Amino acid sequence: MRTFLAIAVLGGGADVAPDIPLIVVVLLALRRGPEFGCGAGFVAGLLQDAATGGLLGVQALTKAVVGFAIGVVGTRLRVSQPLVQVPGLVVLSVLEGLARYALLQLFHFPAPFGELMTYVILPQALYNGFLGAALVLALAWAETLKERTS
Amino acid sequence: MRLRALGLLGVIAGVCLLLLTLQMRGRAAGASEALAVLTTPVQTVLARINRATLGVWGTYRDWKNVRTENRRLRDEAQRLRVEALRVTETASENDRLRRLLALKQSLPLETMAGEIIAREWGGWVRSLTINRGRGDSVGRLTAVIAPDGLVGRIVDVRTGSSIVQVLTDPASTVGAHVVRTRTPGIVEGEPRGTLRFKYMARDGGNLQIGDMVVTSGLGGLFPGGIPIGRVRSIDDRGAALFSYAQLSPAVDFARIDEVLLLTGSGAARDVAASFKGDG
Repeated sequence: MRTFLAIAVLGGGADVAPDIPLIVVVLLALRRGPEFGCGAGFVAGLLQDAATGGLLGVQALTKAVVGFAIGVVGTRLRVSQPLVQVPGLVVLSVLEGLARYALLQLFHFPAPFGELMTYVILPQALYNGFLGAALVLALAWAETLKERTS
Repeated sequence: MRLRALGLLGVIAGVCLLLLTLQMRGRAAGASEALAVLTTPVQTVLARINRATLGVWGTYRDWKNVRTENRRLRDEAQRLRVEALRVTETASENDRLRRLLALKQSLPLETMAGEIIAREWGGWVRSLTINRGRGDSVGRLTAVIAPDGLVGRIVDVRTGSSIVQVLTDPASTVGAHVVRTRTPGIVEGEPRGTLRFKYMARDGGNLQIGDMVVTSGLGGLFPGGIPIGRVRSIDDRGAALFSYAQLSPAVDFARIDEVLLLTGSGAARDVAASFKGDG
């Protein structure tokens, strides 16, 4: 799924794929609150785990936590600014990656932290940041258009 | 509300940790398989969409590349065509100039090269304008020749150009003779752009088609031996005083671009040797 999305977004030229489900979970949590964000994160993460053949529950747990946390603090954040969205999503993606790594460490995940951070977590976080901001802007634009026409 | 959310998170975290623990103990294969039932069809559909998208994208890129390549090749073909034309033109000009230079060097006369800059081909007048004029000390009635033979004479000299009366001009007359029979006569231009050789009937009894007619050198205007044309047909008028022969001009007046002006003295000399292969 990630490969597909990466190809769809970057025309097949990317080595790293954005975590679109994470961005969707964040958007849903911001709009619908912590409960929905938590549930959506769990479902999305579980499906990702199953689709990628990894350990079931890792992404389910990290995305559920992210959905919950964003749902809780989202009302206090000014998330309409792209200058907030991009770094916010980058930091969130890094935190999610770190959480996933920490969780996997409990189950003796063998990958070295430095390489994982350099080649996977940080690039994906940057990718998520810009793509997420673009999605937020697109949604805002679509809503404005909808309001004008109605 | 917050409590319910925390509770939900706790439940989810518990489920996840339970799943992870069970997997590590090798007891959660069923859960994985159950979820795969959901994810596999989705993945299959996504893979198909992926392939289709890649296919469309690939086709688009191929089309774009082919289009770009096509445009580039078309431009290159155009450029090469122009280049080939230029090369052909240059080679042709080179050949003409070589012949002109060879003639200039072989002639025992003083000459000056000139380039044709205009042609008057209306019928009333048949003339060429060359880029040599008063500044080049060109004189009126100067003979003008080309590597193939006689072109005509200068009839008007201007500051930077001169007008050459071509042999086919209706007003043009040149003293000539047939090389093979030495039959003397006059070559006249005709309104339709052809040449005729007018000669005394009693002198031209044995004239043949294909005979070369050259300048006679009489009259002091043109040197002798310059090719004028070949006999194409003979108009025998029986008892008339003069007979006529139609000539094919030695020079293709419509195609020449460079000429030589015989500027020096010695017009009476015979220059037939300089026109090899003629006669």
